[in-house]
Amino acid sequence: MGMQAKSFWSSFFQKAGRRRHLIMADSPKISSLYAAHVSRPVEGDAEEVVTSVGIDIGTTTTQCVISRLTVKNTAPGTLVPRMEITDKEVVYRSDIHFTPITGENLVDTEKVFRLIEGEFSKAGISPSEIDTGAVIITGETAKKENARRISGEMAGYAGDFVVATAGGKLESVIAGRGSGASDYSRRYFKTVANIDIGGGTANIGIFKSGKAIDSCCINIGGRLLRVDAEESRIVQITGPMAHILDDLGLSLKEGDRVDPLNIEIICRRMAEVVLNSLQSSALTGLEDALMMTAPLRLDYEVECVMISGGVADYAYTTSPCDTLDEIGRYGDIGPMLGRQVQQVFKGNGMAFIRPTETIRATVIGAGSQTVDVSGSTIVVTDECLPMKNIPVVIPFGEGIPESPDAVGEAIRQSVSSLYEAADLEPLAIGIQGDEYLSYKRIQSLAQGVLMGLEPLIRVGFPVIVVLEHDSGKVLGQSLRVLNPAAQVICVDQIEVNEGDYIDIGRSIAGGTVVPVVIKTLVFETRQV
Amino acid sequence: MNEQELIQSIIGKLVEQGVIGTLVEQGVITGAPSAETVAAVSASPSASQGDAGEPVTLPPLNEVKVDKPKNMAALEAMRKTTPARIFMGRCGARQKTHSFLHFQADHAAAVDAVFMDVSDACLAENGLFGVQTLVKDKDEFLMKPELGKKLNEAAKKTIAEKCVKGAQVQIIVVDGLSSTAIEANIADTVPALIQGLKAEGISVGTPFFIKYGRVGVMDEVGALLDCDVVVELVGERPGLITAESMSAYMVYKAGKKTVEADRTIISNIHKGGTPPAEAGAHMATVVKQMLSHKASGVTLSEAMRG
Amino acid sequence: MNLRSKIGDKVFTFQSVREVMAKANNEKSGDALAGIAAESATERVAAKLCLANLQLKDIYENPVIAYDNDEVTRVIYDDLNTTIYESVKNWSVAELREFILKSRRQGDLLNISRGLTSEMIAAAAKLMSTMDLVYASKKIKVSAHCNTTIGLPGTLSFRCQPNHPTDSIEGILASLKEGLSFGSGDACIGVNPVEDNVEGFTRVMRAITDFKGKYEIPTQCVVLAHITTQMQAMEKGVPVDLLFQSIAGTQSANDAFGISATMLAEAREMALRLGTSTGPNVIYFETGQGSEISLDCHHGVDIMTLEARCYGLARRFNPFMLNNVSGFIGPETIYTGKEVIRADLEDLFMGKMHGLSMGIAPCYTNHMKADQDDQELGTMLCAMAGSNFFMGVSGGDDCMLNYQDTSFHDDAATREILALRPAPEFEKWLEKMGIMEEGCLTDAAGDASIFDK
Repeated sequence: MGMQAKSFWSSFFQKAGRRRHLIMADSPKISSLYAAHVSRPVEGDAEEVVTSVGIDIGTTTTQCVISRLTVKNTAPGTLVPRMEITDKEVVYRSDIHFTPITGENLVDTEKVFRLIEGEFSKAGISPSEIDTGAVIITGETAKKENARRISGEMAGYAGDFVVATAGGKLESVIAGRGSGASDYSRRYFKTVANIDIGGGTANIGIFKSGKAIDSCCINIGGRLLRVDAEESRIVQITGPMAHILDDLGLSLKEGDRVDPLNIEIICRRMAEVVLNSLQSSALTGLEDALMMTAPLRLDYEVECVMISGGVADYAYTTSPCDTLDEIGRYGDIGPMLGRQVQQVFKGNGMAFIRPTETIRATVIGAGSQTVDVSGSTIVVTDECLPMKNIPVVIPFGEGIPESPDAVGEAIRQSVSSLYEAADLEPLAIGIQGDEYLSYKRIQSLAQGVLMGLEPLIRVGFPVIVVLEHDSGKVLGQSLRVLNPAAQVICVDQIEVNEGDYIDIGRSIAGGTVVPVVIKTLVFETRQV
Repeated sequence: MNEQELIQSIIGKLVEQGVIGTLVEQGVITGAPSAETVAAVSASPSASQGDAGEPVTLPPLNEVKVDKPKNMAALEAMRKTTPARIFMGRCGARQKTHSFLHFQADHAAAVDAVFMDVSDACLAENGLFGVQTLVKDKDEFLMKPELGKKLNEAAKKTIAEKCVKGAQVQIIVVDGLSSTAIEANIADTVPALIQGLKAEGISVGTPFFIKYGRVGVMDEVGALLDCDVVVELVGERPGLITAESMSAYMVYKAGKKTVEADRTIISNIHKGGTPPAEAGAHMATVVKQMLSHKASGVTLSEAMRG
Repeated sequence: MNLRSKIGDKVFTFQSVREVMAKANNEKSGDALAGIAAESATERVAAKLCLANLQLKDIYENPVIAYDNDEVTRVIYDDLNTTIYESVKNWSVAELREFILKSRRQGDLLNISRGLTSEMIAAAAKLMSTMDLVYASKKIKVSAHCNTTIGLPGTLSFRCQPNHPTDSIEGILASLKEGLSFGSGDACIGVNPVEDNVEGFTRVMRAITDFKGKYEIPTQCVVLAHITTQMQAMEKGVPVDLLFQSIAGTQSANDAFGISATMLAEAREMALRLGTSTGPNVIYFETGQGSEISLDCHHGVDIMTLEARCYGLARRFNPFMLNNVSGFIGPETIYTGKEVIRADLEDLFMGKMHGLSMGIAPCYTNHMKADQDDQELGTMLCAMAGSNFFMGVSGGDDCMLNYQDTSFHDDAATREILALRPAPEFEKWLEKMGIMEEGCLTDAAGDASIFDK
């Protein structure tokens, strides 16, 4: 059946002119379908393009990508607009650089910035054109003292609304989104483990229905042992590698001769550590020693495995990796580690799937998978924005209280510790759940929020509310009516949890939506 | 004792004697071995005890009821992607009992939404007075759409008496094809809309209700009250997903010359769609745009684009 | 030409063939709305009596809308086989009705069909009862081929209609998988998009075409946008098996639809040149009694005669399927369950008598006085009458268009009740997928997750 609803009315609009009178158009459902074409342009809405940068500073390599995110109205017909990110296109992929390291084994920040500046000029883009993005400091690099400095200075190089973050658990999620594991899990209804193996760490993210449900980080990487292929000698043994050698009973030292067989034994053990961490959450021995986070919960069955990161390409090829020249072509053991991962995972019941991105998974994830947009009927005061690292407080764990006084009291209680601090800082009230809110409930909620946040309003901070339910605009308007002097930022259709931090950008798409980044602590991310 | 009670008492006796229970346990009653059917059979004797326990209800429509699927997780994930009535399972090539009854319940709600009237209590609670079009009854309303666009003489007189002329915005509430939609939504939409308009300093006339009304009745109201914008909240033709969906039609300078393309429309206003209070707040923004561009419908879209 | 008839001692005088045709119609709210319906039960019978005694040439010489004023009339008259017409023009409508009912060979019916205008076919149907209509329809089974063949004897096919209120691809695929798992989709996989534009059309068409390709499903894909949208997409290289369009029985209503006979011819020619299907039948039309009334383009002609004229237009383009949706138009044209069932059977007969590959959507909306029982009665009667296909909708409810149509369950049950089979190529595929064995659904049927094992 097709005739009336669409072709009927749309064709009518297209050809018969818009002025004809219709009897049937009066039945609201029909006429709303009909009107889908008279009240809005037929050929799609205007779209807004957001430029996003992703920068990954890892143990071994540093890369950046520039993506264009298309934000568009996806609500058809006469529905209230819903702006969403509809397309993510990577428009520039940098070369893959070795991360510049100083003599003290620290990241050489000056060189990193210069390198990124160089890539930006190659891409023909200036920091002022960048709307959003993320710098992710990963692997061994994240442990190093200057991570904070990198993030602190990055805004100047990469734009105003760029998130800096580091830490194994979040990195696992970002890598799995960039590799395509997240999409794969949604499309094929499988639980997918994405294992991003870089120079220093292996980050495992578990995805189900497109959502990250678990993650961990292991101190396994291709650059834990550095070799000189020409001389057949070991150049460097890192701390974690010392554990591995201990475990294997191998007494190798820096400068010793090394042969392919030894490397194979070492890499096989490393690959087993990765496999074991996917099969047991009660880890002992080497597995326990190398686990940098809590192990995976494993209260689910992993059906597919994807390998991304620097060693991934060697996990999916059959090209030779036998001689020391072939193994040590990058001065480390990455290619052999990839090969061993491939072999260890063969025939254990989990499907071994090739990701859409391998070595660039993390940087692409950082560049295009961290930002989202709010609901499209909201109230914001653009002069206050962007705001970054706003702590989220969840005052109504048990549901929103009925009376304004109770709402105010609940807020006061949940923020009391923040109020006692010497310097007040802005905070956001998060309201979870999709419970329906009547106009009366909205009114009492608005009154209560203003009471509870009175100390913040007094010092001139904005009233920031982040709702899951689609009520941002009516709540925001109510807040403004009740206190015309307060600055109101009331955004909706965003899920937040206690302890999250939220970044909110300036409104886009004609003021209808704001870009947001949720930095969740559920995965024990270290904020820098 | 009527027929229903008779049947129940017999079933009750059979159960007492262990006949039905035994048959079920032994699997003699086969062909419909799903858990809920068994539950329904064994629950029916309790009716003979009158009002014992909680009333029986329909299971939610979003539960997957396919027997022994190859991949339950896939079905559960897919179930979330559409409001269509999928994955209800089957008995032979027919619907299972509960999905069959669910369909009937949803159709009944839709029919009631169309054929019942907005209650006087609802109008009183929302402070609305009511007037009527030229339509005499529901059958005429459904079969002669033109009549639903014209106010009767008494309506014109009442409106002239009770409403101020020349307000910037006149809100009207119209039953259209779903009285249920009106009863479910206007208590949230109307005050949110008025709050939004007043916050922008826009004047609002006295809202009222029109019985047996169609969308086009707003044109007559616009001409009668000489307002800048008429906002009509009207019940949409109900579907089985919801019978509560309401639309808002907004026209700048509504009158005899108004055509369909002049109407700005927001549809799908209900608890499961755009929440009614949020819709009211959003409509205030749209009305403000209409006033500043002095246009609505296609003309407004074109003006805003460029 | 005698426009007077007498029932008992009451004499009725009609002004025109058009008026006789209208008043001879069974009760439909659309004719009442237009003010052309019989005013009493007796007047209705008087009109039928008058019509029964008109000769076919009376109808030929008095077209309900003049040849010079209407493109549909011109298509009907220009395409007529005059030799055959000459051989039957002196028949009364009663004789035509009786010829049809006593005919034993489909070939005879399709032969005289070439010499009948749409109004003559409508006139014969106006003299038929419910069982007459089923009996006559059953005599004709016209098959058509796009990628697969529908309308073969002993078969019943379905369009799988996995619509979604926001065109979500995931949502569309979920319903599609369920439909296929019930054996629906051999007529086509067809989606009504919410928004009519090339971008949206392309997105949905690519998704269902990719799915069809991945599982090697022998069928045809169609997205029911306006025909000009589909043509633009086809020119851009989007795969199109089947072109959809709604058509009406008057030129002015077709103007309102934004189409003309010339445009339809161009579209068909383009589909044969650029489309992806085997053909030769590459068009999918939809029609429904009363659409001309809704558009105020009826010219005083009754809704049933106008419907017949749609088929007169359609047969020029050899459609793969003509789907009738009379139950969707609304209470101002068809109000009760009884009216819908009658319209469905009239339409099925009239379409078949035009030599079309006919299907019916025995559907209803929630503002009509009709319910699921009416729909199921209509479905079973149309299946008995040899409908080539029905629609297939999850749980019987289209969550995008907000109306009720045949469910995957109804479709499968109808096949089983009447021992009908899917299109042969499709049945082989169902067997390969483990959904059907020897014409019966297997235990695995109805489980959409067989595509995600």
